[in-house]
Amino acid sequence: MPPPAAPKSGDALFASVERVNAELFTLTYGAIVRQLLTDLEEVEEVNKQLDQMGYNIGTRLVDEFLAKSNVSRCADFKETADVIAKLGFKMFLGVTATVTNWDAEGTSCSFVLEDNPLVDFVELPDTCQGLQYCNVLSGVIRGALEMVSMKTEVTWVRDMLRGDDAYEMRVKLTKQVPEEYPYKDDD
Amino acid sequence: MIVCVAVVGHQNNPLYLQSFTEADDALKLHHVVHCSLDVIGERVNNPKRNAPALNETFLGLLYPTENYKVYGYLTNTKVKFIMVTTDLDVKDADARNFFRKFHAAYVDAVSNPFHVPGKKIASRSFGARVSTIVKSFGSGTTA
Repeated sequence: MPPPAAPKSGDALFASVERVNAELFTLTYGAIVRQLLTDLEEVEEVNKQLDQMGYNIGTRLVDEFLAKSNVSRCADFKETADVIAKLGFKMFLGVTATVTNWDAEGTSCSFVLEDNPLVDFVELPDTCQGLQYCNVLSGVIRGALEMVSMKTEVTWVRDMLRGDDAYEMRVKLTKQVPEEYPYKDDD
Repeated sequence: MIVCVAVVGHQNNPLYLQSFTEADDALKLHHVVHCSLDVIGERVNNPKRNAPALNETFLGLLYPTENYKVYGYLTNTKVKFIMVTTDLDVKDADARNFFRKFHAAYVDAVSNPFHVPGKKIASRSFGARVSTIVKSFGSGTTA
């Protein structure tokens, strides 16, 4: 049996997956958000929908990520966060995030993105000031982590579309759900 | 120095108009821009040269009025950029350069998913970029 391949670095991962034109991706996402705004009309509803869409993407994405990247089991949440920031974001968005602001228990951290391909060319009009334009990203992280038994809450702290200098999302691990087996052991 | 830039849509509807001098002249500048649209229409319908140039975007000096010069640029979607300047000598290369940068800024503004094509350009960063491009226009000519 051939020895298992070593886990790849972020750049190698990014080079090995199929890529799509960045402008096409940005314009497609922009069109999705615009259409949601036209259909739902309420900014809060659109935020929820984006989060739900992200959740659905995340649950499927995590399998592809683990298959392509070959990372070993993470020992704790800190390692998980590092893997998401360096490998996950790099593989799917082509940018790396930095992990900062760990709290005392190690269950809550921030991902800071300087560069975000979803928001190129975007300027929020005055009528949509409550819109969390990148909410799909928070859904993706929540969905992916839930598939590996971690329940999290993700909120946006800083948003460049609102005038801040970077994108910061706060991820808080609420519960580590142990594996549940559908049958009882003692039967 | 540039006194006014304008973006006019393909149905000759104004999409963006920014003047860089005192507000009194604003109406006169609007009028100048409006008249230049006629000149563009003429140029487009009656090409002067027998062999049309490959790059038909830069229309060049449209017409000189008493103290202004008006330059035009046409994109392939029939969107027109007009630039009104008070400079006495404007190098062709400078004007082309200006319009190239202006075109890039326009494309980025229009790629905003919240921009409705055909409506006025409401992007603040477009305004800021245009101001920067306008400011750097004059400095290129001074030796």
